[in-house]
Amino acid sequence: MSSAQEHGGVWVFSESPQITLELLAKGRKFADDLGTELVSIATGEADGQKHIQHGADKVLAISNPELNVFQVDTYTDAFENLITERKPDMLLIGATRNGLEFAPRLAERLKTGCVTEAARLELDAEKKVVLMDRITWGGNLTETHMSKVKPQIATVAKGLYAVIPADASRKGEVVKVEPKFKPSNTKIVETKPKTAKGVKLTDAAVIVSFGRGLRKKEDMPLVEQLASTIGGVVGCSRPIAEDLHWLPVDQYVGLSGQKVNPKLYLALGISGQIQHLTGIRNSRTIVAVNNDPKAPIFEYSDYNIVADLYQMIPAFIDAVKQLGKA
Amino acid sequence: MVKIIVLVKQVFQTADLKVDKASKTVVTQGVPRVISETDKNAVEEAIRLKEKHGGKISAVTMGPPEAKEALREALAMGADEAFLITDPHFEGSDAHATASVLAAAVTKILEYDLILCGAYSEDLYAFQVGPRLAEICNLPQITYAAKLTLEEHRVVAERDLENERQVVEAKLPCLVSVVREINEPRLPTLMAIMAASKKPMNTWSAADLNLEANELGFNGSLIEILRSAVSAGERRRIMLQGEPKDIAPKIVKTLVEEGVLKAA
Repeated sequence: MSSAQEHGGVWVFSESPQITLELLAKGRKFADDLGTELVSIATGEADGQKHIQHGADKVLAISNPELNVFQVDTYTDAFENLITERKPDMLLIGATRNGLEFAPRLAERLKTGCVTEAARLELDAEKKVVLMDRITWGGNLTETHMSKVKPQIATVAKGLYAVIPADASRKGEVVKVEPKFKPSNTKIVETKPKTAKGVKLTDAAVIVSFGRGLRKKEDMPLVEQLASTIGGVVGCSRPIAEDLHWLPVDQYVGLSGQKVNPKLYLALGISGQIQHLTGIRNSRTIVAVNNDPKAPIFEYSDYNIVADLYQMIPAFIDAVKQLGKA
Repeated sequence: MVKIIVLVKQVFQTADLKVDKASKTVVTQGVPRVISETDKNAVEEAIRLKEKHGGKISAVTMGPPEAKEALREALAMGADEAFLITDPHFEGSDAHATASVLAAAVTKILEYDLILCGAYSEDLYAFQVGPRLAEICNLPQITYAAKLTLEEHRVVAERDLENERQVVEAKLPCLVSVVREINEPRLPTLMAIMAASKKPMNTWSAADLNLEANELGFNGSLIEILRSAVSAGERRRIMLQGEPKDIAPKIVKTLVEEGVLKAA
């Protein structure tokens, strides 16, 4: 265990270019508040200059082609090497699936703590530590965590922080680094693209989601029609995907599924288990339609409509079309 | 012949958990305890591999004495032996402390080709124990397996990533975490449940694993939980009443004005 004084610098890394920029926005604030530098790690095709334009003071650019593609063991070696040499105070990692397997393995190598998908990160100005909130117990509790050891590591989901607009006049330094690593003990044989249809839920501005209130699979076109009328993407609750298999598992919203952040979330015939509510908490406006006035969703929604979705959907479609004509 | 260790965690049925708003604690009384869903998939996958290649399955859990139920279920499904790792000193373990105890346990079991576990647990969703355990045991890890095949001395798995399926192979021994798509866990028959009670059930404490008190529980954890609060979604909860044909134009107008909906 090392003392806090030895450590300095806020580091960010994600193999996703978008999350990297989001982490730079949050990291910029931390670096300013702590009076330290903001460092990004660029691998593969990552554009170091772009990181600087979006807030980084320094970019550690790894150019070794063997590290172009993420592999958990080589990345753990490489990051361990860089971190042991340079001793950052904290490291924010994008909570992609790869990021989620990487962060704890790296943390274990460094014998430090790691907080998964921190919902909120805040500096404790006095102690100079980062307080990391995470949602646990099936979405029921928000716990505030702190790492006893540095570097403090957290993974952060996509969409939590607004990217700082690019500023071409920002100054920063791109440093080429050659961290040590052992050859990987796993081999990527093949990557097969998923046959994703339509827009991804996590990128959607409008989501029309349905649950068990929809009585049969044959009624799904009703929901699809509404979604296409308002330019939305169809989502569903967990039972629809995991138990009934009406939609692929990628299309259910919830703590264990997609965590979404649309402008508008329409919940049709969804009772509102905590599991589901945790997935939609970052939506700007939530409208719930349910024929049960006691459905828990009504506690967590902005507009509550007690109605049969079979009547409400056509009425909604009509109303949108009328408005378009007006 | 393949020797598989499968890790299971007993969790409360999360859908039944409620929060006591006064005490800001989760009410667990009367809530059923079950095997975490993805761990059940790991047990199922272990059984399928054994059915194909022969071998032995050891189910391991770390938890309170009640977690024995989860192991009984794993035995009823088809595991051959079970290890309950339990000790009052484990209370408050974070992912690091948990992985350290499990590492000591799997090391004591000694021979294994494959460690299987769920990619995450249903209550915490931390995704950490698998990778941390693999690190301590110096094993290759393959996470989020949606398909798994075993060949001579190696595994080939399809990792389920955001936009792709990544086919990865690794030499044995190896740790593989699975997602729910990998299989449909079987329901044990009554016969199997009865037979399970005759299978070996071992109980190990911290002392059995030669673990010191400072490695355990709160003391052995790298993360400190400072406080917890009820997750509250602050929403407006505006009730719209009337016939659908009357409500629809109102809500559409409101949403357009809020800038969250565009007219068709």
